[in-house]
Formats: sequence, C-alpha cells, structure tokens
Amino acid sequence: MPLSLPMLTSLLTPVLALLGLGLAIGAVLGFVAKKFRLESDPVVTRINDLLPQTQCGQCGYPGCKPYAEAIAAGDVINKCPPGGESTISQLADLLNIPALPLDESYGQPGVKKVAFIREAECIGCAKCIPACPVDAILGAPKYMHTVIESECTGCDLCIEPCPVDCIDLMPLEPYTTPIKTVEELNNEEILACINCALCVDECPVDILPHELYWACRGNDLAGAETLKLMHCIECGKCDRVCPSSIPLVEYYQAAMQSLNTQQTEKVQAGNAKQRFELHQQRMETLKIEEEQRRQKRAELAKKGPQSQTKDTILAALERVKSKKKPN
Amino acid sequence: MTDIILILVGAILVNNFVLTQFLGLCPFMGVSGKVETAVGMSAATLFVLTLASACSYLVFQYLLVPLGLEYLKTISFIVVIAAVVSMTEIIMHKTSPLLYRILGIFLPLITSNCAVLGVALLNINQSHSFAQSVFYGFGAALGFSLVLILFSALREKLALCDIPEPFQGAAIAMITAGLMSLAFMGFSGMV
Repeated sequence: MPLSLPMLTSLLTPVLALLGLGLAIGAVLGFVAKKFRLESDPVVTRINDLLPQTQCGQCGYPGCKPYAEAIAAGDVINKCPPGGESTISQLADLLNIPALPLDESYGQPGVKKVAFIREAECIGCAKCIPACPVDAILGAPKYMHTVIESECTGCDLCIEPCPVDCIDLMPLEPYTTPIKTVEELNNEEILACINCALCVDECPVDILPHELYWACRGNDLAGAETLKLMHCIECGKCDRVCPSSIPLVEYYQAAMQSLNTQQTEKVQAGNAKQRFELHQQRMETLKIEEEQRRQKRAELAKKGPQSQTKDTILAALERVKSKKKPN
Repeated sequence: MTDIILILVGAILVNNFVLTQFLGLCPFMGVSGKVETAVGMSAATLFVLTLASACSYLVFQYLLVPLGLEYLKTISFIVVIAAVVSMTEIIMHKTSPLLYRILGIFLPLITSNCAVLGVALLNINQSHSFAQSVFYGFGAALGFSLVLILFSALREKLALCDIPEPFQGAAIAMITAGLMSLAFMGFSGMV
C-alpha cells in the first residue's frame, strides 16, 4: 500500500508533538542546570571534619583532606587506623552507608601515641621540623629539639628523617575508669525495658530515663545528647524504681564517657587541622623565599663574577697591607 | 473549596497511596532507615509529585487533546516526570549535597515511583480540573510523606530493640508496614 498524504500527517503529528515536548523540556532543563551549577563539593568538608587530622598518610593519601576527597568520590571509609571504629561509624552515619570493620592492612588502631625525642642524643639537625605536619616539634638548627606533647598526633612521620634515630613513639597510657562500656553492659543478662515510665516520675531533672536508656543501649550518642543525657546528675533514683532492675545510671555513665571522648577527639582534630594548614602555609612561604634567594645569587653571579672576585681580592690585599704596616 | 478538602483528605488518609493502594513501595522500604533521610525524600517527592501532576495535566489538556493524541498519555507523562525529577536532582545537588548523596539512587528512582505516574493517570481517569489535579498530587505526596516519616521513626526505634533473629532486618520492617496498612484500612469509607 503506497503512503498517502493523510497517513503521513497522522504519523507526523505524534512524532512532531513528542519532539516539541522533548525540545521544550530540554530547554528548561538546560536552563536549570546552568543556573544551579555546582562549584565545589561541600560534602568533602563534612567528611574532613570527621577524620582525626593526624595527617599520617596511613590511608595511602597525603593527608586527611585528600582522603576525604577520595571518600566523597567513592573510596571505602575503613582506611583510617588512627580514627578507628569511632570514626568509621561516624562516617557511615554521615553518608548513610553500612559501617565496615577497619581494614588492618593500613595499620593497627591501637592506643594513641606521641613522639618523644631523647634529648641527650639529638644533634639539632632540624630535619624533623619540616616533616611534622602539625608543627609540634620545637627547636632550631644546632639546638636541642623537643615535642609539644599536647599537639603531637602520633603520626610517626618524624621518625624516618631523623639521622640519629633519637625519636621514639611512646604509647599514651589510656585513661582508665571503672565505668563499664555499653558493649559490656549489653552483654550482661538484663531484663527488657517495658516502657513502664516509673523512672520518668522519679527523675529530679526531668529527663526521660527510659527513652535515654534506649538511645544509650543502641550507642546513639547524638540521640542521647538530644534526650538531655548531660543533664543527668546520676542520682540513681530511676535505678531503684525500675521493675526490670536495669542499671540505668551505668548506661548513662558509659554514654557520657564515650560522648566526652568523642568531643575531646573532635577538638583535638580541629586543632590539628588548623596547625596542619598553618604548617602548609609556612612551608609554602619558605619555599618561595628560598627560590628568591637562589635567583638573587644566580643574578649576582651572572652580573659580574670577575668584578666581584677582583673586589674581594683587592680588599683582602688591602687588609693584609694595613696589618703589616706597623711592623 | 469542599471538593479540594475532600480530595486532600481522600489522598492523604482514605486512599493513601502507599498503604491502601500499594503504590510507591520501593522508596517506602528503601529510604525509611532514618527520619532525616525520610524527611528529605518526602520533600523531594512532594516537589516532584505536585509539579508533575500540574505539568502532566497541562500537557494532556493543551497538547494531546487538541491533537487527538490521547493514546500517547503514558509516554508523554513519563517524559514529563523524568524531566521534573532531573530538575529536582540538579537543584538538590546544589542546595543540599549531603542529602543528594544519601538519597543516592532513590532520587532518580522517583521517576519510576509508580505513585507519581499513578497520580498523573488517575487525574485523567477521574477527569479532575487543573486545581483538583494539583491538589490531588499534593495530597498524594503528603500521604506518602506521612507514612514514610512515621515508618522511619518506627524503624529507628526498632533498630534498638531486641528482635528475635529470624525477624531481624527486612522481615520486621515488612510486618510493621503490614500493621500500618491495617491501621490505615480503618479510614476506608470515610470520604
């Protein structure tokens, strides 16, 4: 059957209609894409804020920010031994992905360490000073160096450049308390909370002890904080009325302790980040200054090597003559 | 005015798209792990559903009907919905990149959220006017948001509970959804 004109038009209308629709939509989308163009990725900053800022490079990236960028681009979150499980779980929470166990091929989590310089052996070479990413080593050439303990992140980057091996990494004694951790408490045989809310009436500071208990039990520190965990005065009244005899206060203490550690770690990470940025700035300016000096010397050498040397020779001869005269 | 209120109540409670008509179950199960994410998803769906029902009404009435191309409605609605979703994606990537990351694949999947296409098609079937279409879409999205946020809050609590091992994870989520659906059946016949 040959194609007739009415058939062609009946075919053309739907095609043209859809084409027009598509073009119109394309134009609108193009406009929106142009208007809402993305310049930088703010997710990187959020991730970077959670990393411990030791700048140790154990993850295989040169510092915490590059690793944060890599995570934002899709790298796994379990490559940071200094951060350990707590950093991994916070990252997992931020990115809404399952938490992985730490990949131990990048290093052992272990205890926090600080560098210590055996001062009797230090020769004052100052090689460790530029190596320290947070400028925690104090010293000058030909003078003894020492480590500012509170700023040291224990990254071990100063060990390698030391020519006389006088730097040790000392484990910081972990601060021990008789408080049980949430995991230990969860492993104990405890009757279930039946949400009877007897504890609510008892609480003198108006927190919801049973709700808080659920949050602490699930290690939901942010949730516990919003439920006014820090308002608890540990009076133990909720403990005494609980029909299931749940050790509520022990749970709150455990949660408070982990919250405190988390907060101190955050403050330390913030300090380390600031110091790292300043360190990088300093290295940059030093490099530029060095380059300028080199250029100056090169220029001088080019200008008149002979005239300069002649001058110095003449000056030296003059000095000798003036010294000889009295004889 | 009354018909708009009726449409809203009907779409939110009585004929709730998720729990009574079983449309849009994929994001309902997929992004209900955290309240924060659920709120983000609800906002995105609210935006998409309202805009998509308005756009598809306009496309149907002023492009397809005059040209006698009503049979193309499914295809053109899908195109319109896909465009609205891409627009939402671009805007969200700029305004809240963290949410964009967390929602991940579920954001472009709003395109294939059957509730969105369902609303557009139901609008035509029930011969709604423009305002009615917009409010039907808006109500459907509100109903979706309501159950999604309620469900995510339940799941947050469930995550902390001692659940017997065979029921952990998806199983208890399904049971919870079933119970919620039963509860919503109680609204039937109200409008």
